[in-house]
Amino acid sequence: MKDIDCTDKTSRVVNQEIRQHIQAGETELRVHHPQARHNLGVAILQPVNLTMTGSVGYYCGGLIDGARIEVQGSCGWGLAESMLSGTVIVNQNAGNSAAASIRGGTVVVRGSASSRAGIAIKGGTLIVQGNSGYMTGFMMQKGTIIVCGDTAEALGDSMYEGRIFVGGRISDLGNDAVIEEVTDQDRSFLTTTLAEYDIEAPAAFQKIVSGRRLWQFDKKDFDTWREAL
Amino acid sequence: MCGIVGFLDKSGNRQAAVGQTLLDMLSALDRRGPDSSGVAVYADRGADACVLRIKLGEHGPFETLADAVVERVKSLVSVSAVDVQGPSLRLVATPPENPESLERAIEAAGSSVEVVSLGNRLELVKQVGSPANLEATYAVSSYVGTHGIGHTRMSTESRVDLSHSQPFWAHGRADVAVVHNGHITNYHKMRRIYEQQGHRFYTGNDSEIIGLYLADRMAQGASFSDALQTSLTDFDGAFSYLAASEDSLGYVKDPFAFKPLVVTDTPAYVAIATEEQALRSALGDDFPVWEPGVNTVMTWTVERGVGS
Repeated sequence: MKDIDCTDKTSRVVNQEIRQHIQAGETELRVHHPQARHNLGVAILQPVNLTMTGSVGYYCGGLIDGARIEVQGSCGWGLAESMLSGTVIVNQNAGNSAAASIRGGTVVVRGSASSRAGIAIKGGTLIVQGNSGYMTGFMMQKGTIIVCGDTAEALGDSMYEGRIFVGGRISDLGNDAVIEEVTDQDRSFLTTTLAEYDIEAPAAFQKIVSGRRLWQFDKKDFDTWREAL
Repeated sequence: MCGIVGFLDKSGNRQAAVGQTLLDMLSALDRRGPDSSGVAVYADRGADACVLRIKLGEHGPFETLADAVVERVKSLVSVSAVDVQGPSLRLVATPPENPESLERAIEAAGSSVEVVSLGNRLELVKQVGSPANLEATYAVSSYVGTHGIGHTRMSTESRVDLSHSQPFWAHGRADVAVVHNGHITNYHKMRRIYEQQGHRFYTGNDSEIIGLYLADRMAQGASFSDALQTSLTDFDGAFSYLAASEDSLGYVKDPFAFKPLVVTDTPAYVAIATEEQALRSALGDDFPVWEPGVNTVMTWTVERGVGS
């Protein structure tokens, strides 16, 4: 276990220290007083454990492959952006674009996520224990988003594939997002997945997938497009 | 990019360290706005006080202009204090019957003269340069009061000079000031309409129109908070902005959530900033924060209080 203090250091210096410790064989690192600095813990390709004992700024855990990062405070924009694999957990609220473009791994927001959570995700799982904001799942390509609380305007707007589960209230569906029956397979997947992070599953979930009406454009479908847009 | 900050004391302290807090927050956002910085702080300055901050020009010397301005002001109201700091002339006077006439009289003293702020509780200072430079010129860390807003600027579309920096006072409306991060994309269309109505613009900066809009709506009878609310539909673009009046602080988040904003609301204070870094380095780690959703407005009020 090694401790890193961010006080009076730039993100670059903190990240260099993280790398040096990992190279020296450390697998448990605690990073203190991050005070919402940006770009902490980016591009860590080893299966190490990092704990941020405060809040982080933008892109924490971006581009990681196999690491596990826990943020005890809140985070800013782009949490775990483009992660290949690994786990990133935030104990408080997340700013915009949590889990943007992730390709694998799991992101857990124990508080609420703000706008565009799960934008363009290409695999992996985003779990939001609280509520999730405007355009959650916007242009989602693959993967799974689970929101235990409520969602805001334009849920799942312009989704390709992938699925969104919502345990609370859906106020508004985005363009070409439709509600589909939850299967028994879905239910056991949800219970197991949430239990892994000590999250009590809500009584019931709704499932949102793409309506597939915007996938190809044909002149004769113009009315569909006009209605969708 | 720009960085905006706001702070409001909820404990009833009329002399909270607002200036120091705003300065600390702005210093953490320095890299978002390397061009210019400024703060607007609200404090009790006397029941009959009208505080004026006047820009004499961009380049000195300023003595003759300062004298000319003071003469004009004295012909309309009584003046109790005169102070020149760099290009900024600070006057404390009795409230004018017609703030607009006072403003016109002052600006007639010279083409470079501009009333930067006017209000009973508002003190607004801004300039080209970093928050550290702002502190060196004005000692804003010593400004105490009830609430305030601040700004660090990265110019995207208009000139870099004192007039174009923020906060913007809402010309014509005592005490109302605005800081903005983003773009008002229907600025030119709205500007034409306001110019036809006889309003004067001092910059080519789209942020300036926000205060003008709020002042116009309030002149038509809207409350401070209603004016913020209708701005969501009347403005087009990406904007997070903070507005303040003699007794209120509010934020507005645009319909696309394109511009970051982070808020904390504790029993002791409200603090708002473009990035959480500003809140953490100024106020510590002991409070949770959230990022507002789209189309949201929130306002807080302090007691108007009696002047000292």
